[in-house]
Amino acid sequence: MKILLARLALLALVLAAWELMPRHEIVNPLLLPPLSDVLAMLGELLQRPQVHLAIGVTAAEVAVAFLIAVPLGAALGVLIAENEYLGEVFKPVLFYVFSIPKSIFLPMFILVFGITFAQKVAYAAFTTTFVVMLSASAAVESVKQDYLLVARSYGATRMQILLRVYVPSMMPLLLEALRISMIFNFTAVMIAEMYASRAGIGHLIAGWGENFQMRQLFAGIIVLATVAILFNETVRYFEARCSTWRT
Amino acid sequence: MQHVAHLDETAIEVANLSHIYAGAQGTVPALEEISMRVGSGRFTVIVGPSGCGKTSLLMMLAGLRAQSQGTILCHGRPISDPDPKRVGVIFQEASLYPWLSALDNIEFPLSLRGARERETRQQRRARAEAMLRLVGLEGFGERFPYELSGGMKQRVSIARGLVQDPPVLLMDEPFAALDEQTRMTMGHELLRIWSTMLKTVVFITHSLTEAVYLADEVLVMSARPGRIIDRIAVNLPRPRTYEMMATDVFGQLRDRIWQQIRKTP
Repeated sequence: MKILLARLALLALVLAAWELMPRHEIVNPLLLPPLSDVLAMLGELLQRPQVHLAIGVTAAEVAVAFLIAVPLGAALGVLIAENEYLGEVFKPVLFYVFSIPKSIFLPMFILVFGITFAQKVAYAAFTTTFVVMLSASAAVESVKQDYLLVARSYGATRMQILLRVYVPSMMPLLLEALRISMIFNFTAVMIAEMYASRAGIGHLIAGWGENFQMRQLFAGIIVLATVAILFNETVRYFEARCSTWRT
Repeated sequence: MQHVAHLDETAIEVANLSHIYAGAQGTVPALEEISMRVGSGRFTVIVGPSGCGKTSLLMMLAGLRAQSQGTILCHGRPISDPDPKRVGVIFQEASLYPWLSALDNIEFPLSLRGARERETRQQRRARAEAMLRLVGLEGFGERFPYELSGGMKQRVSIARGLVQDPPVLLMDEPFAALDEQTRMTMGHELLRIWSTMLKTVVFITHSLTEAVYLADEVLVMSARPGRIIDRIAVNLPRPRTYEMMATDVFGQLRDRIWQQIRKTP
């Protein structure tokens, strides 16, 4: 309870500082407009059809990239974890590629796909697949051999071992993987939109930034932050529910 | 209740069993010419130095691992795959599933068969609950493994091994992870359960005291390649009591096992 109060106090302090410091010109209001101005602009922006369209485009890019990357990454991750030969061959390469900042490949995606919806999706899915793959293979390897032995000794079929042992055993790590890969996925879509695009929230934010429209810029940041935090916390809620069986 | 062993019936018969591992530096003989016979309802304990292949042998008896040579018969029929109706296995770490409650863990083996056999959910539940009572954990069924002590977890694990009522129970150092006091209590509890259920038990341990206290017969294995180098009948009366540990007979049996084990390099 005390912790909660302290957290709320911290939030209130930050918001108050955001409001008061630009108002009294302790910080330059041209760079950081007061919170109330930003919120007023946010209300106004959310009325504009142009903004609705941008949110729709970004949401579609994020969703499609995620729907491609998660099953693909999970399948590849399970494959390299389960197949010893493939694991030995591919894992070092994957770790090397994983360490490279993916944004340096962005020009390649533009050359191949043009500045399009497909380019954003392909780039984000490419980035996210690596995260999902490595997390999924770690999740498979986290399953204790004893759990499998117990199931086998009681005559479990392969399907029963998969559904009744692997899946619940991996669940905490899988949820974590889902959460972290969404952070990467969202970031990738934003980078792609801000780098070169004709639509999407990232496109608008980049434009506002270039034109020194700080109230619009911060309003855009609030929208994105809210969406990202909501997704993250939803998954974290389920994660906490199965935290006691983490090994 | 006095336990009566049916010495005339053979529960497990192992003949000329050998096993060779294919390792990175060529082949390693792990088990050599193991032959043993375990009478139905008998409590047999296997002791031996670390790495002598005790656990491998037990995994083969359970049908979880294949031997290179030799045969294993369980109640007259060969064992090649896990057969939960004939053999229940209890592992070193209790190996309970952390996402299931104590009762659901006990019911797990039944739920695997559930689809194939006509037993209602209520009947399975009732059986699991009976096992929970047998191991003295009534009222703890809804607890999850992380809410149970080491001894309680191992009780759940024993209940899970018994729930399908297999005639043979294989136990791989089940109490090794417990502290000494809990270990003594669990040994005593195991004998109580065993005496009410007339199971054939093959039990692996590192503890010589535990071996003599529990066993009808102790098999001593040598270091790798594992062979059976001595068979020691323990003719202490049942039910066993803690006081017996202080007797000369107990001490002599313990000493004989120790002399056999220390001979091996």
